[in-house]
Parts: sequence; C-alpha cells; structure tokens
Amino acid sequence: MTLAELSQKLGLKPLTELHDVEVQGAFVSDMVSDVMAGAAPGSLWITTQTHKNVVAAANLVDIAAVVVTSGRPVADEVVEMANRADLTILTTDLDTYGFVGQLHEAGV
Amino acid sequence: MRCTVPRSFYSGKCPESRTSMLPTAVGSAVGTERKGAMAKQACRHSWSMADVRYGFMVTERCFRCKEERSYFAEEHIPPKEEYREGEHFWDYLGSSQSVKFNLKCDKCGEKVHLDELLGLMTCSGCTADCNFNMIARICEEQKTWVYGALLYKREDADKPETAEKLAVLGRYFNDRIRTPGKKILVLPGWLVKDFDLCRCTVLEDVGMFQTEPEPSQS
Repeated sequence: MTLAELSQKLGLKPLTELHDVEVQGAFVSDMVSDVMAGAAPGSLWITTQTHKNVVAAANLVDIAAVVVTSGRPVADEVVEMANRADLTILTTDLDTYGFVGQLHEAGV
Repeated sequence: MRCTVPRSFYSGKCPESRTSMLPTAVGSAVGTERKGAMAKQACRHSWSMADVRYGFMVTERCFRCKEERSYFAEEHIPPKEEYREGEHFWDYLGSSQSVKFNLKCDKCGEKVHLDELLGLMTCSGCTADCNFNMIARICEEQKTWVYGALLYKREDADKPETAEKLAVLGRYFNDRIRTPGKKILVLPGWLVKDFDLCRCTVLEDVGMFQTEPEPSQS
C-alpha cells in the first residue's frame, strides 16, 4: 500500500509535502535510539515525539513517513527540516493504540 | 567503564591536514574480528548492527576547571553522584537515553567495533563559516545528508582507523536506503568549528524517563 492510499484511508493530515512511497511496515516507538537500532527502511514510524531528533533519525534510517499521534502539534522548524529532507510527517488525533489498530486493520 | 571526551576537543578550527582523513570510500575494515584474511579480501560486506546496547549519554562538568565531557553509561539509571578523578571533581550535568552498537558482516562475520563512537549529530546551520555546516549545505543539494560522528577521545580523531570505521558506518546506512538518489555521509564531528557555539541536533532521547529535575547549570 502506498503512503497516499494509506493517508486517505486513515484520514491522516499531512504537515509536509506528501512523498508517495510504498509502505513496507510500521514501527512504534517514542525513542530515537530504538528507531536507529530497530526500525526497517520504508516503515511508518508512529510516535508522539515531535523533536527535531525525530527528523534526523527518520532520515538516517530512511523511514517512509512519521505519523504523530494524539494530535500533538509539530513546530514549524521541525516541519521545515522534514521538508528539506523529503520526509513526510502526518498527524492523527487518534492515540498510538487506536491508530495502530486501524493500521493493522488496513493491512499494514 | 567511562570513556570520556573533553568538550574542548571539539572547539577550535579544523587543521587542514585533517581534511585528508575524511572517509571517501569503504576500505578495509579495522579493529575487527575476522574469520580469515581471505574472507575479508573476497567479501562484499553486508553490514548489520550487532552488540546493540542501550544506556545513557551522560554529560558532566568539573566544578574546579569548568571542563565538560560526555560518556556513555550502560546502566539502568544514569549515574548522578559526584566523584573525584585526579585533579577533577566531576558533577553530573544531564543525561539522555542513547544506544551503542557495532557492525557485523552477515556474509563473512567480520566485525567493526565502534567503541570510539559516542553518538551522531546533524547540523542546524547555526554558524556560516563552520566547516561542517558548509559541507552539509553543499551535500544537501545533492540529496546527501551529512551526519557528524561524536567521538569519546581526542586521540581517536587522529587515527586513520577511525576514518575507515566511519566509512563503514556510512556504508551500513547507505546500504539500507531505498529512496532513489538519497545518500548518507558520516563525517567526523571535529569539523565543527566551535562546539561551544554549535546548536547541532544530537541523535539522543532528550528528556526521556527523567524522574527528577536536572540540577542547576549555573
């Protein structure tokens, strides 16, 4: 499933330009170190973290997109940094548990 | 074990001679365990993370000389006690969760120990005449994203093995990239002009699992 299809299906709101790539899986963590060590390239990274570190780690691991849950606001400088790195950031008002449930139902 | 690096190591200008040590290609890995020399020569390495250890990047300061340094602590909670080490009296300044790892070839079993590596950082573009910033901006136009390697010890920065290890680390990240045209370049942190002024983003879990207020840094 592509990121655009997934975004439309789950009602995700893009904060950056949406780069339509194939989603290979998902990784749930609020820890940058966890993502560096365990996330697979092409995955969705589901987190409540909105620090600049998130963009730096996601770019390093070649994450497909970051999904920020619980409707947490993302600072403009983080969005700008993500756009420079061609990284898509999406948000949902669902909490992480609720979103992951929907993601699983969607076949990811 | 506490491996430390004086923060002052990252200050000052980068000597011209050091630019020759930038990793340009993956050469023979060093500091490694090998199954055999022939395997090393023949193998087109496929690197994976190995020996992943979670812990804390702790920063401390000597209250006498004001020197600051950081180290990686593989403990369940970051050590916060003051202690004396020679002429220094180290005070805990802060910590963040981080990770350390080595790299191992899936094909031949060769291992690259990244013991010198404290962490990675990215440039925020804070200082126009900083070497690291200039390189990062140029590379960014080519869709190459530059990460800085922060080392523990000053003397490790001058070793050719360190440059080779950073090249292997860069290759590990690049081999995993699926986005067409995108590249990762891992450069030594000493290219930063002045770390006391640098506002880089260090890849660490800032403020996670903090159970009490940080002590005053005044």
